[in-house]
Amino acid sequence: MERRQFLKQSTLASSLFFVPNFVKAFENLATTSLGYKRLVIIQLAGGNDGLNTIIPFNNDVYYRNRPTISIKKNEIIKVTDELGFNSNLLPLKKLYDQGHLTIINNVGYPNPNRSHFRSTDIWETASDSNQYLQTGWIGRYLDKYGNKSYNAIETDDSLSLALKGQNINGIATKNPQVLFRTSQDPYFKNVLEHYEDEHLSEHNLGYLYKTMIAAESSAKYIFEKHKTASNKHEYPNNEFANQLKTTSKLINSGIETKVFYSSLGGFDTHARQLNKQSRLLKIYAEGIDAFVSDLKQQGTFNDTLILTFSEFGRRVKQNAANGTDHGAASNVFIIGNKLKTPGFYNDFSGLSNLDGNGDLKYTIDFRSIYATLLGKWLAVDESTILSNNFSRLDFI
Amino acid sequence: MNQQDIQHLYWRAGFGATPSQFNKLSKLDKRQVIDALFQNSSRPSRLEIDTTALEQFTVKSVFKDKSKQREFLKISREKVKEFNTLWVNRLVVTDELLREKMTLFWANLFACRNKNIFYVQHYNNTLRNNALENFGAFVKAISKEPAMLKYLNSNQNRKQKPNENFARELMELFTLGEGNYTEEDIKESARAFTGYSHNFEGKFVLRKFQHDYDFKTFFGHTGQYDGDDIIDIILKQKQCARFICRKIYSFFVNEVVNEDRVEELATVFYEDYNIENLMRHVFMSDWFYSEEHIGSKIKSPIEFLVGITRTVPVKFEKTKDVLKIQKLLGQILLDPPNVAGWKGGKSWIDSNTIMLRLKLPSVILANAKISIKEKGEFEDSFETYYSKKNKFVSVKIDWETFEKQYSNSSFEDLKHQLIVPKLSDGTETYLKALSQNSKRNFCVQLMSLPEYQMC
Repeated sequence: MERRQFLKQSTLASSLFFVPNFVKAFENLATTSLGYKRLVIIQLAGGNDGLNTIIPFNNDVYYRNRPTISIKKNEIIKVTDELGFNSNLLPLKKLYDQGHLTIINNVGYPNPNRSHFRSTDIWETASDSNQYLQTGWIGRYLDKYGNKSYNAIETDDSLSLALKGQNINGIATKNPQVLFRTSQDPYFKNVLEHYEDEHLSEHNLGYLYKTMIAAESSAKYIFEKHKTASNKHEYPNNEFANQLKTTSKLINSGIETKVFYSSLGGFDTHARQLNKQSRLLKIYAEGIDAFVSDLKQQGTFNDTLILTFSEFGRRVKQNAANGTDHGAASNVFIIGNKLKTPGFYNDFSGLSNLDGNGDLKYTIDFRSIYATLLGKWLAVDESTILSNNFSRLDFI
Repeated sequence: MNQQDIQHLYWRAGFGATPSQFNKLSKLDKRQVIDALFQNSSRPSRLEIDTTALEQFTVKSVFKDKSKQREFLKISREKVKEFNTLWVNRLVVTDELLREKMTLFWANLFACRNKNIFYVQHYNNTLRNNALENFGAFVKAISKEPAMLKYLNSNQNRKQKPNENFARELMELFTLGEGNYTEEDIKESARAFTGYSHNFEGKFVLRKFQHDYDFKTFFGHTGQYDGDDIIDIILKQKQCARFICRKIYSFFVNEVVNEDRVEELATVFYEDYNIENLMRHVFMSDWFYSEEHIGSKIKSPIEFLVGITRTVPVKFEKTKDVLKIQKLLGQILLDPPNVAGWKGGKSWIDSNTIMLRLKLPSVILANAKISIKEKGEFEDSFETYYSKKNKFVSVKIDWETFEKQYSNSSFEDLKHQLIVPKLSDGTETYLKALSQNSKRNFCVQLMSLPEYQMC
């Protein structure tokens, strides 16, 4: 999609902004018919153990390497002859059965880095492992195809590199109300009212004023939108579910946001992994379940695609503390309606061909997933955002 | 020296000037002011933290016992956080302004992070000790720092299986810049750094069996080079001086780089790679004080935070709060985003950070207890949100010191002392419209202007 077309869609959508509430039902219909596709990205931060998430339950190597932390066969929700879900992912199995889930196995990148920070950096910037980029992939998408901060929203207090572009950044908010109140401080308003154009031409200082003005209007817009929408489904009471709840409200408000970014932390399970990971997977699956049900009830699931990733998987062999150390390739979840390849997108590469550290090797570069999402879902030219050419995949 | 020049110099070489400094320095000429700046920074003061909690750990216990190792790292991580706040506090109270500012500069050039407090502390002091000395010796010291050896995988750089990570960043980010070396140069120089390692205490060790003693060809020279030799050859390239001077110019002078000035600086620097001489040249140059550079730089989060607390002394009651502010503003010391460091300039600013920056002075200096002015349509305001649920910061504010410092300053003086760029007429008019009955309030108002973000 060209910038022009994006602007056109934005103007169309913003004319709907003034539609009275009683015809709001049409609003979703209208944005849907515009094909206002949105991408929700979720990072399982800390390095989720993909092997205990989607379990190769017929693999002896798996059980041999994990004498105390493997998941017992009878506790697994089996879906193929080879693979099954961790039982805490029961709601996800439901999505799987409905054809709303695609699992992509063995996702990673060449020369994997095992530092959380660096590997997160690589996922956020879509760089090579020896390349240092200072803009994120969503940030570059905004640079090319966006025009407002709120075209990409992170449900957090501060903004990740992923959403920082060269000329435009996304905006972060956990609570649109708080963001709005902050931006409405009378002192700021007065200062901005007294600003003069001359400021705006100034290097750097002009940029500060411009950003402040844009922040004020973004905060206002997000808040105004947010308060028109409601949730149609009960959510669990935790931080992660709250993020999704806010995301759903924003989506259902018809806001002109293409990308939402959230995260769930705590997956760095070096010790006593079983309990910790179970609890987190449960939080994840129940949150997603509520989120998808909510979107479905409000007719916005069709135009929402959810990507879940983690900066790396974990070592096949468990450690002495009943946990696992940092690994490499792992699985990625794509959740949406009308997926082209529901179920497993590709085969699990098995455990007999590991790298020098005893970690899974990748067979799918995560940037070809990005290329697919950019090219096929957000309908833009991915080559302007990703440095190399990554071939698109077939899951949508 | 006139007030504007003092202010400019003190913001770029430090974190702003106090009224008493303005007073004292305005009686001196440029050379005297600059001599004093260097004199104050002539000897480094180590930054050290109490590590007795970690004394019980030995090499054996940590390597043999995984649970010991975890315990060690857990305490160590807490210590690194403590060290961060100790560093921030140093910046607030130090008289060794230039050395500390240079340390920040180098910490961003030789960006590195580590979980081991001993390595972190050692690295930090290496940056401080070398901050104004010889660049060549500095780079050699960095190449042997345990934190860096770990960060860029020199530990895994072995004769049989070289790891090029350090060699690549050495040239790309530390000395020459992209495009000024070949892939072959990286391969060959990586071999020279093979076997670089360190022991548990953090002492550099050359592992002889892993070091490649063979011939290497680097920048057209061939020899049985080790890492130091490679660095010496790099220093012979004038591009190295140019690369560092461009970084210096964009950090200390203006992000919009003037290539002629860079060339001028590079010629000075290339002579002996003496950092002090280079910085003297920068600060003595007339062009350093030219109007286009005054107030043209967006303060880094640390410059912003330290600037506020140097003007109004503030004691943070929880180390956690100091870290939180850094995180929300986008710069946690000792925790750069990656080896390329923080990009700086406009990249500090997004919708969230600009709002927080404008709000922070009032939040900190009103002791996070700004009352809800009126009960409106919303339950939460920013202040109550953070004070009720997650109290934003708890601080002790020393307004008395502020008032003593600024007792002879008029409101007009205060404005000139706190704000570097020229205010627009509109903002000027607005400030005049505010009731000027308290210097404290006026100080907070000034610090809440976008202009206060500039230095």
